[in-house]
Amino acid sequence: MIQPIKYYPDNSINVNAGPIRSFKENYNNMLTDIIDTMKEHNLDALSAIQIGYTYQLMVIKENEEYCAYANPRIITQNKPFDSTEESIYFKNHAITVKRYEELSIVYDDKNGDMKTKKIDNKEEASTFQRKVDYLFNTTLLDRLNPNQREQAIKALAGKGIMPDKTDDYCPTFSKKEYFVSVTDKLLFFMFISLLLPLFNISKETLDGWYTYDKFAFLSVIILMISFFFYAQYEAKKYKQCTSCQIGNNIGVMLKRIISSIILTIGSYFILG
Amino acid sequence: MARVVIMGGGVSGHTAATFAKKWLGKKHEVVVVTPNSQWNWIPSNIWVGVGEMKKEEVVFPLAPVYKKAKIDYRQALALSIHPEGKADSDTPYITIQYTEEGRVGETEEITYDYLINATGPKLNFDATPGLGNGEGQMGSNTVSVCTADHAEHANHELKEIFEKAKEGKKQKILVGTGHGLCTCQGAAFEYIFNIEHEAKKAGVRDNIDIKWISNESFLGDFGMGGLHMKVGGYVVSSKLFAESLFAERDIPWLIGAHVSKVEEGKAHYELLDGTTGVEEFDFAMLIPPFSGVGLKAYNKNGEDITNTIFAANGFMKVDAKYDAGAYENWKASDWPRTYQNPNHKNIFAVGIAFAPPHLISKPASSVNGTPINPTPPRTGMPAGIIGKAVAHSVCDMIKQGDEAHLHEASMAEMGAACVASAGKGLTTGTAAAMTVYPVVPDFETYPGTGRDTDYTFGEVGLAGHWIKHILHHMFIYKAKLYPGWTLIPE
Ligand SMILES: Cc1cc2nc3c(=O)[nH]c(=O)nc-3n(C[C@H](O)[C@H](O)[C@H](O)COP(=O)(O)OP(=O)(O)OC[C@H]3O[C@@H](n4cnc5c(N)ncnc54)[C@H](O)[C@@H]3O)c2cc1C
Repeated sequence: MIQPIKYYPDNSINVNAGPIRSFKENYNNMLTDIIDTMKEHNLDALSAIQIGYTYQLMVIKENEEYCAYANPRIITQNKPFDSTEESIYFKNHAITVKRYEELSIVYDDKNGDMKTKKIDNKEEASTFQRKVDYLFNTTLLDRLNPNQREQAIKALAGKGIMPDKTDDYCPTFSKKEYFVSVTDKLLFFMFISLLLPLFNISKETLDGWYTYDKFAFLSVIILMISFFFYAQYEAKKYKQCTSCQIGNNIGVMLKRIISSIILTIGSYFILG
Repeated sequence: MARVVIMGGGVSGHTAATFAKKWLGKKHEVVVVTPNSQWNWIPSNIWVGVGEMKKEEVVFPLAPVYKKAKIDYRQALALSIHPEGKADSDTPYITIQYTEEGRVGETEEITYDYLINATGPKLNFDATPGLGNGEGQMGSNTVSVCTADHAEHANHELKEIFEKAKEGKKQKILVGTGHGLCTCQGAAFEYIFNIEHEAKKAGVRDNIDIKWISNESFLGDFGMGGLHMKVGGYVVSSKLFAESLFAERDIPWLIGAHVSKVEEGKAHYELLDGTTGVEEFDFAMLIPPFSGVGLKAYNKNGEDITNTIFAANGFMKVDAKYDAGAYENWKASDWPRTYQNPNHKNIFAVGIAFAPPHLISKPASSVNGTPINPTPPRTGMPAGIIGKAVAHSVCDMIKQGDEAHLHEASMAEMGAACVASAGKGLTTGTAAAMTVYPVVPDFETYPGTGRDTDYTFGEVGLAGHWIKHILHHMFIYKAKLYPGWTLIPE
């Protein structure tokens, strides 16, 4: 049966699909649904998760034949290249990500028997990697670094252009987050300090917290200014700086500075 | 007066012993039989292995702690269990062999009313030729961080590699699992990133190639079929997270790998796709596979009944469903709830010592038929929770009789939090804090994924490192039974 396809920004595909454990009726029904949906939309490949089945099953059309890959795993990958890909999930917007040209894969066939396969052409390899990604809660956007991702999200919203190159690597953690993380902790404790008078706490302790609040306020301002300059430096380093990225950084900075001002005023009246 | 004997004073045994004594008070006896004189907070061995902590910081002597708690401590190895007693006595007992200085080799019988097996894993180095020394110990080709002593030795070897790299000699480091049936990928994962972090700090990273080798069929499986993480506000799979982390740190990987043989500077492997190869190294830390510690069991007539009490892998049988059959039939309910031995109601097994009913990750064999899949992890948090639940059950049985309701702690209904360090340093440290619920996927309650994705998340960053460091101090504080220790969760 043809099933409705999920389109961006539907994030219900953001789950790790579970392994296929049985190759009986449910599996066959799911496989039929995937193939029917592919035929209806004239697709060359589809992962189960793209039509709402949270199972590790994908189908690739190879020489007019619909080949099912259950529980696929990429065991080795070689020869990286920049692959510009379209996916029905992103309504065929092209996004450039890093892929590998040579793959050695294992998967379960329709009977649940493990099979191996070698792929050594770019198109087939990138399709395979993209579909496997979907099964592991990974869309094309997730393969971009944070700056490119921001840019791509804007482009998908019709407010910019897609990044057309992958970076050397895809950082999982930007160092600028350190500034944000420390600031958030300082703000959290500033907030907690405002609740202290509700408890039977000595005046000296409250004075201590008032001093903390003053110190924390100053620290937040310094941290956020440092954050902004570091973020600018990082954005340049990744060569993907966009105006939206600057806007985002300003947003992060202002939100926390304003919070710290409000908390400091609160502290002045409550603890001071 | 009842006597509770606990074999093994590691994470789960120490938890069980200390809680049992607290709840039972002076009226009953708690005996701990464990071969080490020191307790080791194993997760921090990673930092000993890169020289960021001294061995003394991750261990402390057990004797004073047990003296304070009024626990009868025997520094000894448990050898055998006699659940029916012997010809002239029905009282069950275990035999032990002292390892304490001055009494080494001395044996003794200790009777029990209740027995808790918390002996953890045997580090089965010899399962891979060349990984062990052929006598059950680690061989000289690789290092390990599984014990504090191993970690100290690993650091020593690592520093030599760094020295050579400083002299401009290119070095190759291989880290991962040393067999197709290993668990504990998380520990190797932490170690490789800590090495990378230290190499950078020492300014030798450019001269060191670092490579990952593991039996996981995808990066980030961690023996649990993967999990979700939160990175920079986005939910990502542990596969993407791990791949990015490896790529970012310029660490290539080999997955789906069974290390079949180790020689000096060489690891031979077979992959799930059937290909074989050799990885050369100057330094390798390969986690060994785990098995039971080799306890024996005998009936009243002295006949060997080890096979009825222990599973083939040497772990103790408990209230799990061991005949679940094929993968498609596995259920969350196969996993044990009370950890009581089915034949002997006064015997329990906790932590790594209990025999799991089956794997957690999808089972897999290479095309040549070699099984290559992670075996189920039983990390510190579940080990502690199970130890405490069993102590509770035993105390209730002592106080209310053998029909008392047993406390339950199924890994299929339990979440686990794990903080994986990726480098130590007050301002430069990184760690991934991951939570997963339930530990064992429950495909009936959560069709498809087997997990509750609302509760399955993690975070990576400096804060994670601080948490890991705080946990180190917190758990050592708790294990030393300092004031308020019961308030610190497992
Ligand atoms: C390097 C490393 C890092 C880790 N990091 C983490 C982490 O970050 N987070 C986490 O949650 N988990 C981590 N783990 C796993 C965690 O250490 C284990 O889950 C936990 O120790 C299991 O507890 P246990 O009591 O079952 O076994 P253990 O803690 O190993 O205790 C077993 C005890 O039994 C004793 N023993 C052995 N044989 C006998 C015998 N014959 N008689 C009597 N006593 C015996 C042993 O000496 C030992 O004291 C890590 C493991 C390793 C190896």
